[in-house]
Amino acid sequence: MIKIVILSASVVLLSSCSTVEEFVNKIIGEPNVVTVEDRRSATQESIVAEDYSSFEVQNYIGTNNAAKDAVTELKNAGTNFVLYFSYDGYEIDKKSTEEIIQHANFMRDNPQLNLTLAGHADERGTREYNLALGENRALSVKEILGLYDLASRVKVISFGEENPISQAHDEQGWQKNRRVEFFYK
Amino acid sequence: MKFVRLLAVFIYLHSMVAHAILEVTVLKQDEKAFPIVIAPFEVVGDTKKGQEIANIMRDNFNRSGEFNASSSKDVIYDKIDYDKWRSQKVEALVYGRIEKVNQKVFKVKVYLLDIYSSKELYTKEFSVHNSGIRRIAHYLSDQIYEALLGEKGSFYTRLSYVTVVNKGRGNREYRLEISHSDAQNPQTILISSSPILSPAWSPDQKKIAYVSFENGRSEVFVRYPFVRRKTQKLPYFDGISSAPSWHPNGQSIALTLSKNGNKDIYSYHLKDKKLTQLTFDNGIDTEANYSPDGNSIVFTSNRSGQVQVYIKDLTTGKIKRAIFTGSYNAKAVFSPNGKQLAMVHRVGKDYRIALLDIKTKDLIIMTNNALDESPYFSPNGNMIIFATNKKDRGVLSVVSLLGRETFELASKAGEVREPNWSHYSK
Repeated sequence: MIKIVILSASVVLLSSCSTVEEFVNKIIGEPNVVTVEDRRSATQESIVAEDYSSFEVQNYIGTNNAAKDAVTELKNAGTNFVLYFSYDGYEIDKKSTEEIIQHANFMRDNPQLNLTLAGHADERGTREYNLALGENRALSVKEILGLYDLASRVKVISFGEENPISQAHDEQGWQKNRRVEFFYK
Repeated sequence: MKFVRLLAVFIYLHSMVAHAILEVTVLKQDEKAFPIVIAPFEVVGDTKKGQEIANIMRDNFNRSGEFNASSSKDVIYDKIDYDKWRSQKVEALVYGRIEKVNQKVFKVKVYLLDIYSSKELYTKEFSVHNSGIRRIAHYLSDQIYEALLGEKGSFYTRLSYVTVVNKGRGNREYRLEISHSDAQNPQTILISSSPILSPAWSPDQKKIAYVSFENGRSEVFVRYPFVRRKTQKLPYFDGISSAPSWHPNGQSIALTLSKNGNKDIYSYHLKDKKLTQLTFDNGIDTEANYSPDGNSIVFTSNRSGQVQVYIKDLTTGKIKRAIFTGSYNAKAVFSPNGKQLAMVHRVGKDYRIALLDIKTKDLIIMTNNALDESPYFSPNGNMIIFATNKKDRGVLSVVSLLGRETFELASKAGEVREPNWSHYSK
C-alpha cells in the first residue's frame, strides 16, 4: 500500500515539474531546454510524505550546453543551490557564506552566466511582510556576491510565502521554506 | 449554432458560479443576542420573493452575531398581537409586503415594530426591480439594524477575496473574487496560475487594487470589476511592488516599493502619476493602511529589530510605535472611526487577530487560532474579517467586536484568503 502511495506520489512529483518550468521561464526568460531532475532518490520517501508539490529544477535555464555542463559540474561538486535561513532572519551564516563564495568563484570562471536569486519565507506572519523578507534574504546573498564585483550579473526576486516547498505547518516544513534558490542563465 | 453558443456560455457561467460560491457557516448563536422575528413577507401576486427577502434578512442578522433572528409560522398582516410576541420574549418584529406590479417591478413595504413599547420604529415603501431583490434585502437589513442599534449595518456592502485551488501536478489556480457581504452572488474578477495578494476595494467601490505575480514578480494592478477587462497597471518599479492601500479620497494608493533594494512605503497618485516617498528607514517598511481621515498611515516595520506596527502622522511627519505589547505585530488596519487598529499579533507561537485602542493602548486578543492573518474591518466597524487555517484549509472567519467568532466562509474546492470588505455603496 505504502509503495503504491509513494509510486503514485512520485508520478505527481515528476509531472509537477511542467508547471515549475513555466514558472521558472517567467522568472528567467524563455528557455529552449529545461531539464528536470529525477527525484527518485533515497530522500524521496520523506519528502513525499509531507509534500506532493515539492520540486527541484535544474538550476541552469538556457540553451548553451557548455554552460549547462558547468552548472551541473558545480552541483555535482556538492555546492548548494538552496540556502536556508532562520525565522524572520536574513543574515548569512558562515556555512552559507562558504557556499556563496563557491558560487562567486563559479561566476568568475563563467562570465557568460547570470544569476537569479529567488527569496522565500515560511507561512508564519503576514504575506506582505514575508514578501519583503524573501527579498531581503535574496539581497543578503547578492550583497556577498557584490563583494566579488558580481552584483551587476545578479537579479533578485521574492515570492514571499507563496511558493512553499513543504506544506507542513511545523518547524520541519517551515525551515525548508525559508530559503533562497539559485538559478543560472 | 447560435443556440449552441449561448448554451455553452450559459454552462460556462454556471460552472464558474458553482465553483466560486463559498459555504457560509454561522459559528455560534448567542442566547443573549437580541431576539428578533423577521416574518415571511406578505405576497400579492405570483412571487416567491416574499420568502426570499425575509430569509436573506434573517441570515444577515444571524451572521452579525448581535441578533437571534427567527421566522414566524405565518405571514403577518396589519393586526399585531403584541402580547403573544411579548410572551415569546421577542423584542422586535419585522414584517412586510411585496406586490408584483409587473414582470420586472415589485412594490415593497416593510415595518419594524418594537414589541415592548408597541411602537413602529421604521417603515418604508418603495419599488424594486426584480434583479434587485437581494440588494434590497441587504439595504433593508441596514435600515433595520440602524433603527434598532443606532448605527449603520454592514450588509449592503461587498467582499473581495482570493481563492486557491490545487489543480494537481503542482498547478494552482488563483481567483480574485468579489461577492455580496453574505458571500452570495460571487463574481470572478481574475483567474491566474500565479499568486494574487492583497485585494483592496477603492473607496468608491468601483476599483480593486491587488498584487499579482503574473509577470514573474510582484506588481500592483488596479482592476475595474464592473467594467469588462479594464485594468490599470502601475508603472514599472524595480524590485518589489506590493501592499496597496487606498487613500480615502480614492486618488492615490500607498504601496511598498523596493527601489534600491530598500523596502519603503510610497504614495502613488493615479491621475498625476506622481510618486511620493512616505517612509525612509533602512529596514522593511510595508503593509501601509490609511487612517479614515487620510492624515496618517499605520504600517509594519522591523526598524526596531522586531516586526512591529507604527503610525506616521503625515501632517507632522512624526512616527510613533503603536503598540508595545508582544514581540510580533503586523498588518494593522484602522477601524472606520480611526480609534482602533486590528492587527496580527503573536501570542507564544500563535499568530492571532488583536484589537488595539490607539489612545489607551488597551489590547484585546480576538481569536484563538494558530495562523490568523489579513484582518479587515466591516464598514461599520463592528466586525473583523480575517484569514485563518481550519483543519489544514484556508478559510475566512469573521469575529464581532464583542469577541465572538460569528461566521466562517469556506470553499469546497480549495482555500480562501486575503479578505477585504468594501465601503458603503454610494
